[in-house]
Amino acid sequence: MDNVLGRDMISDLPLSIIETILTKLSIGDAVRTSILSSKWRYRWATLTQLVFDDKCVSLSNDSANAENNLVKFVTRFLFLHDGPIHQFALSTSFSHSSPDIDQWLLFLSRKDIKELILELGEGEWFRAPSCLFSCRKLTRLELVRCELDPPLSFKGFLCLRYLNLQQVLVAPDVIESLISSCPLLESLTLSYFDSLALTVRAPNLKYLILEGEFKDIILENTPLLVAISVAMYMTDDIAEHFEQSSSCNFDKFLGGVPCLERLIGHIYFTKYLSIGNDLGIIPITYSHLKIIELYQVSFEDMKEVLVVLRLIVSSPNLQELQISGSSNASVAIEAPDLDFWEKECPSDYTLNRLKTVKMTDMSGVPHEMGFIKFLLGKSPMLDIMSITPSVYVTSGKLNMLIELVRFRRASAQAEIVFIQDQV
Amino acid sequence: MMSYIWLQTADGSIQQVEQEVAMFCPSICHEIQTGMGSSKNCAISLPSQVNPAMLSLILDYCRFHQVRGHSNKEHKSFDEKFVRMDTKTLCELTSAADSLQLKPLVDLTSCALARMIEGKTPEEIRETFHLPDDLTEEEKLEPLRNISDDPRIRLLNRLYARKRKELKERDRSKNVEVEEELVDERSVDDLLLFINGGNGASKDVRASKSKKKNRKRKDQQNCAPSNCTDKESNVLNSMRHNAKAHSHFLPNFGDALKLHIEDDRFAPEGDFDDGVDDPVLREEIDREVEDFARRLNSDWPERMQEILSLGQERKRAPMSTDWNGSLRTYARLDLVQK
Repeated sequence: MDNVLGRDMISDLPLSIIETILTKLSIGDAVRTSILSSKWRYRWATLTQLVFDDKCVSLSNDSANAENNLVKFVTRFLFLHDGPIHQFALSTSFSHSSPDIDQWLLFLSRKDIKELILELGEGEWFRAPSCLFSCRKLTRLELVRCELDPPLSFKGFLCLRYLNLQQVLVAPDVIESLISSCPLLESLTLSYFDSLALTVRAPNLKYLILEGEFKDIILENTPLLVAISVAMYMTDDIAEHFEQSSSCNFDKFLGGVPCLERLIGHIYFTKYLSIGNDLGIIPITYSHLKIIELYQVSFEDMKEVLVVLRLIVSSPNLQELQISGSSNASVAIEAPDLDFWEKECPSDYTLNRLKTVKMTDMSGVPHEMGFIKFLLGKSPMLDIMSITPSVYVTSGKLNMLIELVRFRRASAQAEIVFIQDQV
Repeated sequence: MMSYIWLQTADGSIQQVEQEVAMFCPSICHEIQTGMGSSKNCAISLPSQVNPAMLSLILDYCRFHQVRGHSNKEHKSFDEKFVRMDTKTLCELTSAADSLQLKPLVDLTSCALARMIEGKTPEEIRETFHLPDDLTEEEKLEPLRNISDDPRIRLLNRLYARKRKELKERDRSKNVEVEEELVDERSVDDLLLFINGGNGASKDVRASKSKKKNRKRKDQQNCAPSNCTDKESNVLNSMRHNAKAHSHFLPNFGDALKLHIEDDRFAPEGDFDDGVDDPVLREEIDREVEDFARRLNSDWPERMQEILSLGQERKRAPMSTDWNGSLRTYARLDLVQK
């Protein structure tokens, strides 16, 4: 009954809405709408955001066949597409034969593409063709498992704001010049790079995420950095390099980031910062630094402890602190300097904004306890201090608790939460 | 103190609405800032898509969302319940929200509409939205549409394509003038095939060549088209089938060579323009060429030896050193003998 009386309500909606609807469908479904009625015949062909993945084509058992189907689908789609393309994302577990992707990139470079995301599979890594570097309007580039080799005439992506390279094979100096030749770069993510000594010069950079084996990280010109997250892995040559290094890594890394709001360091980051660090005059106060997260800090290494102290003392407006330890204290070690914390910190210094502290993987090492005592004594606004003992601590938990209970608290409302392992 | 503003919908009726709620819509907000809506006389007139029913829905949405205290979860559950309405209302609401530039609501309703479309068959979607089924059968099955992977569409597409080709052939046979250009086209096709090594293109070229051959014969003979068509199309079909079968016999020597054998089947036809008018004889020749090609394909290495030795004896035929040239010569001479 309704079919006869009902009017077609949807086809006459404004084009922008139809495009929004089609963008929320998977690309295969969007193309299938061409068969609905004459008005819908080419609505899909003007989509500007194209997201392709392995689910676009019906799954078949034969992987070569499925790969072939995906290639055919993308090629035909691009060929029948009409109008500008703003975003092209391809995420597939196949490692495609290069000629197809090269041709797609050539096509896209002529369509003023703005966002390009390529995630290819394991296997032989795709070598980016030179037409990639002629996409002048790129604002966002994400590559996973590729090889980059820009031509000599490449002057940078002048509009690029977001760069994410993961498992990308590229020469170190090329990376540096790529970063510095993108003047508008705001967010940089580099993952799984091997033994890279990196100098970052990016005057507009706000967000930096690094993960991999880095020999050296120097933030030379990054005055606007707001958030940093670094995970540093260790290899033997890097360890050697660390031992031979003479410069102060703390200054090289955190020397030029006055606007920093959030600092996250994983694995060997604290160790990296500890090299060459002398607690002398502290050049910078990070007055915007609100959140510090340091993982795998070894409280048995005095140098790393110094790094933690330096960070705390330079961040008067700290609000949230999370530290995980990495000590293996099966034997109680006599720590040399137990009132180190009180000595090295100015006595009137308080962390007036610190509300949340989370200490995990605590082994009850003297300096860990000393640090907790120090924090409790210097944080008048503290709400919660939660402590999770390390899984290796079995009998030491009671001792930790006994010590904890004695510590003076500057904040009357502070809760100390001791988290038992939830089995 | 709650302040109210006046809104006028498309049908002329005027309503009083809490200002805070109405301000959630950017376009109303803009109007208020220019001083409108403060009294009944200067009520803000809303776009035509906003009728009273839609307005009340939009205001419900705004009323909930402009309150700051709700958690994300509450927002989500409200939204989910909010979009449970019939399709017609949903479309109208999208249109109305868009006219008021209320982007969050447009996104919400677009999502709901997208959910109604995804995973459904075309018939179901047409039924949901009352879409007219106004594409012709052919339009629906055109290869354009075939980028989705629906096997039914592909199969029907193939059948239709074949039928369409036959229809076109019959049409074109009445066109005499087109003929001259075809000779040239054919050699371009040869070139392309040779350059590309005949990947995939072979089938089409074969088909088009057979079409052209068909045409030429008809024009020369001027016999009753219907009879010839049947016989010739049968021959064409059988040749096409044979060609396909042949493809299995030449794994090592590549497609290029295979195609040149097929080319040679056609080449003599073109060259012997003057000679053979009789359709029956033509067919015989075709079949012999087929046979020849088949034999050639089955015992290739020995054949090559024969060809080479034969080729050296013939003085008048131009001998080129590549395989293709010698093959062509041999084929031509073979036919002449017969």
